[in-house]
Amino acid sequence: MAEVTKDFEFKQCVSILKSTGKKAGNLRELREAIAAVSDEAIFHHTYQYFLKGHILEYTNDFAHWAGESLEERALAERLSGIDPYDFGSIGELRNGLLRTIDDYMEKFPEPREALAGDEFYFNQTITLTFPVGIRAQNLAEFLIAIKYIDAGSIYYHFYEARVRLRSGIDDFSAWIQDALLKKDLADRIRSIDPFMHSVEGIREHIIEAVEERVKTDMEAVRQ
Amino acid sequence: MISKYTGISPRGDLLLLQKLGKKLNKKSFLHINSTKAGGGVAEILQRMIPILNDLGINTRWEVIEGDDKFFDITKKIHNAIQGNPEKITKDMWDHHYEINKMNAGRLDLEANAVLIHDPQPAPLIKFRKKGKWIWRCHIDVSNPVKEVCDYLMRYCSKYNAAVFSVSKFARAMAINEFIIPPSIDPLSEKNRDLTAEEIGETMEKLKIPADRPMILQVSRFDRFKDPVGVIEAYKTVKKYNDCILVLAGSPATDDPEGEIVLNEVKEYAADDPDIHILLLPPFSDKDINALQRAAAVILQKSVKEGFGLTVSEAMWKGKPVIGGAVGGIPLQIVHGVTGFLVHSVEGAAFRIRQFLNNPDMAIRMGEKGRDYVRNNFLITRQTRDYLSVWYSIENKGKDVLEL
Repeated sequence: MAEVTKDFEFKQCVSILKSTGKKAGNLRELREAIAAVSDEAIFHHTYQYFLKGHILEYTNDFAHWAGESLEERALAERLSGIDPYDFGSIGELRNGLLRTIDDYMEKFPEPREALAGDEFYFNQTITLTFPVGIRAQNLAEFLIAIKYIDAGSIYYHFYEARVRLRSGIDDFSAWIQDALLKKDLADRIRSIDPFMHSVEGIREHIIEAVEERVKTDMEAVRQ
Repeated sequence: MISKYTGISPRGDLLLLQKLGKKLNKKSFLHINSTKAGGGVAEILQRMIPILNDLGINTRWEVIEGDDKFFDITKKIHNAIQGNPEKITKDMWDHHYEINKMNAGRLDLEANAVLIHDPQPAPLIKFRKKGKWIWRCHIDVSNPVKEVCDYLMRYCSKYNAAVFSVSKFARAMAINEFIIPPSIDPLSEKNRDLTAEEIGETMEKLKIPADRPMILQVSRFDRFKDPVGVIEAYKTVKKYNDCILVLAGSPATDDPEGEIVLNEVKEYAADDPDIHILLLPPFSDKDINALQRAAAVILQKSVKEGFGLTVSEAMWKGKPVIGGAVGGIPLQIVHGVTGFLVHSVEGAAFRIRQFLNNPDMAIRMGEKGRDYVRNNFLITRQTRDYLSVWYSIENKGKDVLEL
């Protein structure tokens, strides 16, 4: 994890996909599997959806499958509305998913079968984390780094950190507040909603906020 | 070797490769398959072995030997695993085992990690001396002939782990199963950058005019690749946009229908001078590369497909790509982002017209596609994944590994 020291050490994570061997061919089977699979599998299909790099119509794999393979559009919308960062634990998130599916099945109890080969396959991941050899000592260095760092590094510090530290706080704003003592900038970065952007969108928003602050700081020196 | 990929592959992948290389330094890594040349597995191994050695891992690649009867049996096993009705008798399984036993006596199987590719050498697990053994399945096992698959799994379940290319190919097994998609090498003759002169030479040699946009499909003349559907789509497009069509490939020699399909295609193309059917000899990698780089739109309108790496090859060249929504193609084409997925001739024709009439969109999607391949389908990523699987087996039970 990124320690809150003077330097910000950029790290990155890479995930290797591992099959659970479980699959679902209709909504009832999906429900049963969501209730039974490991926390790691729930984590992969929800939080790690943001690793895909492009936000389309959905925000997690379950919603994607309900919309595209079962063509249950209303359910897909409701599942997409589930923000994993609203939950304190994977268990609570799992219950949130189950409640949504149960509600839907009460109204539409006839399960629709996915086409053969189009079933939902439950996976989980093994994550490898490592430092990328880049450190920032101040905000200007941080700005350059954030512009060019791999997307996997932004994912690690901005998304994964919230779950890793269980505090719901990303590593970037923590460092900016604790090491650089710039609480207003930290608050601004914290106000970027992780659920509403792709990793590249997050990069752009952070660049915008930090660049503005660097400019202001430099102007202040000249006066 | 690895430094050649700097600026091409994602930096994170190269860093992780180096770190894993240090962790596994001087350890031995053995790959075994059934052919030194021909086919995607041999193609990628030829490129991957030097990378692994360069990382400090002592890597060897061995090939099992067998008689005609053995390869006839393994071809039948291969087909059965992919769902074609085949019967493998007890005598055939015994021969499969005996040939592997003979190879086990011939080959040095000592290594810290052994990666066995596909069903042909799977019984070698019976002769394991030490190390971690991983079975790498490159083929589609989602709908196999059950008895054949069950018999083969007697061997596979003895491995430390199995690796499949796509989630839906994985089976419920009692061992760890990882998902590692295949990849392309950006530095190979098929994918490296070419100069305008090199592209021009190929176009001249193959007598392809460069005065109008070219629609291209590179594939075997096989019904599953739907070459006739491609011509139908082209004929629709031609009513609105002047363009040429190039179908480049080789007749499928192991498919008795190959010749028939080729004749159908020729007949369907009739005497349209703007349809170019190219029968390319083996090792035409540079010409295929040049054709892809000269094309305006690239199709892979398959109706059945394994992974379909030609899609990634086209995307790597920054080209707008249209693919059939089958096999591994939807994993490469994110519909509307890195290209278009289609389900019909009409769909293909419409998307070709969209690209030809909206060059900005074609460029934008082409760029997204290249980026997507860079992050997901390059050889450095696949090598990284193999080493990660090995390292994670060494560190059994941990979901998060800090390097």
